[in-house]
Amino acid sequence: MSTSETGTETPAEPEAPRDELRDGLVARLTELLGDGVVESHVLAGKDVWIRVSAEAWQQTAESLRITMGARYFGFLSAIDWMPSPFGRSLEAEVDTILTPQEKKALPPMTTGYAGGDTRFQVIARVANLSEHWGVTLKVDVGDESPSVPTWTKVFAGAEWHEREAWEMFGIDFVGHPFLRPMYLPGDFEGNPLRKDFPLLARFVKPWPGIVDVEPLPGVADEGDADGAAADGEGASE
Amino acid sequence: MTAISDRRKLAYIAAQAADSRVNVELESDGMTLNIGPQHPATHGTLRIVARLDGEQIISAEPMAGYMHRGYEKLTEVRTYNQVTTLVNRIDWLGSFANEVPWILAAEQLMGVEAPKRAMWIRTILFEMSRVANIILFLGDMAAQLGALTPVFFAFRDREYVLNLIESATGGRFHPNFDRIGGIKDDLPKGWVEDAKAVMDKVRDFCDQIEDLVLGAEVFTARTRGIGVIPPDIAMQYGLSGANARASGIDWDVRRDNNVGLAYPELDWKVWTHPDGDSFARFWVRLQETREATQILDQLLGGIPSGPIMAKVPRIIKVPAGEAYIATENPLGEMGYYVVSKGDLTPFRVKIRSASFNNVSITPWLLRGVYVPDVITILASLYFILGDIDR
Amino acid sequence: MGLGLVESGKMPKPLTKLLNTARSYSMWVYQWGLACCAIEMGAAFGSPRYDVMRLGVIPFPASPRQADLVVISGTVTDKMAPAIKRLYEQMPDPKYVISMGSCANCGGPYWDSYSVTKGVDQIIPVDVYIPGCPPRPEALLEGVVLLQMQIRTEDIAARWRGVPLVDQ
Repeated sequence: MSTSETGTETPAEPEAPRDELRDGLVARLTELLGDGVVESHVLAGKDVWIRVSAEAWQQTAESLRITMGARYFGFLSAIDWMPSPFGRSLEAEVDTILTPQEKKALPPMTTGYAGGDTRFQVIARVANLSEHWGVTLKVDVGDESPSVPTWTKVFAGAEWHEREAWEMFGIDFVGHPFLRPMYLPGDFEGNPLRKDFPLLARFVKPWPGIVDVEPLPGVADEGDADGAAADGEGASE
Repeated sequence: MTAISDRRKLAYIAAQAADSRVNVELESDGMTLNIGPQHPATHGTLRIVARLDGEQIISAEPMAGYMHRGYEKLTEVRTYNQVTTLVNRIDWLGSFANEVPWILAAEQLMGVEAPKRAMWIRTILFEMSRVANIILFLGDMAAQLGALTPVFFAFRDREYVLNLIESATGGRFHPNFDRIGGIKDDLPKGWVEDAKAVMDKVRDFCDQIEDLVLGAEVFTARTRGIGVIPPDIAMQYGLSGANARASGIDWDVRRDNNVGLAYPELDWKVWTHPDGDSFARFWVRLQETREATQILDQLLGGIPSGPIMAKVPRIIKVPAGEAYIATENPLGEMGYYVVSKGDLTPFRVKIRSASFNNVSITPWLLRGVYVPDVITILASLYFILGDIDR
Repeated sequence: MGLGLVESGKMPKPLTKLLNTARSYSMWVYQWGLACCAIEMGAAFGSPRYDVMRLGVIPFPASPRQADLVVISGTVTDKMAPAIKRLYEQMPDPKYVISMGSCANCGGPYWDSYSVTKGVDQIIPVDVYIPGCPPRPEALLEGVVLLQMQIRTEDIAARWRGVPLVDQ
């Protein structure tokens, strides 16, 4: 893609051809996987997200690497889309632990680009270095016992990334050579990056960083209502 | 007769059994060598458990996590500007370079673009942190192979660059200077002239290293052909930066996927080496340091005038969306996958750090090599523990 | 020399002073570099610009068993903590600890992390704390000078008996 040549002449020009590139990627992958591609999202001139089904997850990697030339493995990780029951932990006080208050209703779960139906999603990114494009892939992972086929047979480098995702989210990668803890000591319990994993230090000490968004004295509230509300909470603590 | 032969047979069998037992006892299934978790060759706290057969490694398993600080969780409870303070400390030798992709990702989500002057100053500091980072590698690699002098040279010349970063940003190590929409402050008076003088010193340092290290036969003998990574394996493991370019992969995020930095306006070159061994990795980094000083010369010569901050709200709320922005950091491609839900804090941040991918190749790479070469290979891969464990 | 005298606690004062002065200027320091601070420690101990040896500190012992002083510089994680405790136990008495940087002092920017020990003093006793993130090399040198001042005025007999791992 010789986008740089066209880019110097007219600033509006590069949007259209790069869009074509990414739309073409989605079309190509749909052609290869059929029903495997569930949804896609193209951000014009920037990036592309493609969601595939769990059954087609391994085939996606093969198609991308072997047929489409995306031989460069970027990363693999996961997202927990559940809204955090602890918020930003700004309400963290000793009192809330000693006298548990009624929990506020959580906002409904929403997902990001290319949609999603489940709480956990595995994301991965691969790139084609000669054609200069990268694509972010997503796959839904079941809520009950989250598991997804491994990528290690296609991209050997996925091994550590899958170990990390297993440790941090508790997602099982079927066919992975040996899932064992990567970062945490052996007796650690829980999956830290799940949204329902509390940062306990915040429960015994209120968050001091709230001063960062306090309005300056003498300045009328130019900030929005939410920020001001957070300030109020911070000040009362 | 038969009784005797039976007895003989039994005796023979017993002797055989005893022999074989001795053999079983003598035959070892190798020795386990534990390198780390605190070893000078590991740049911090990487622990490597290696199974040895004599002097050869059967299998090596790096144990990470001694420096795991939980960045990805902590970013979920910090505002966007507070995260800048955190991510500074991922790769602590080139701190400013960690901030840039983070800020660029937030800017992309907000639809903000930094003014041109801010972009140039960002690029200047970005390249300076590269120089500050790789200088230490150039000295340290030789030290791992037994030559101590280059380390002292490296620490001496690195101070000049750190002084520059400090006089511009106020922080020797962790500038925390980048802001969404621009940078915190303008450059001080006379800084550009100082910086130009320092670039000459850095070039002198590179020449010295070339004489001292590349000119040494021992160095060549111990690095040529050691730890060869073929390009396809490098891509499978996601190697980036000089490690990939030393395997002949012509890929540099600065040139091929540049976002929000001044590189397209400059005249520079991406260095590659076809060999893929430890020597190539050292050589590419040496050339890149030289190239960085050339880039800096051009940047310092043409800083545009104008504002240094775009108009952004005082309380930063990033609209909902997702973005992945990567830059070519001193260690390789560093990217942030940011998911925002329109709150003060990010919803999820995946930090794609270069060293994590670069080190994940070590079990493959160390298989079958000799113990002294482990140090060479680890040093030439060049990782920083904070960048692996995050 | 004079170990019997030291253990009995009946050291003549001038001799104590002499021994303390001698000890304070011949400290072998073990570098336990963990994170960013390790680079600043390297700059202070290894670089020609700061030159720690002029203070009578020798930064290259072969093992902790030959060291009088350990500088814990950087983030202490829960996974690393047992190794640090073991290191401290291996050092011969009298032994001193400098905690360098906010992380080693109290957890620093990772005060709410799930994997970081909130201060190395939860595991081993610390003599000098150096604040900063990371502290400049000069700050580390000042910490060393402060420790030397403390050594010059301390009760040598108590030190020789060792410090129990609980609060005094």
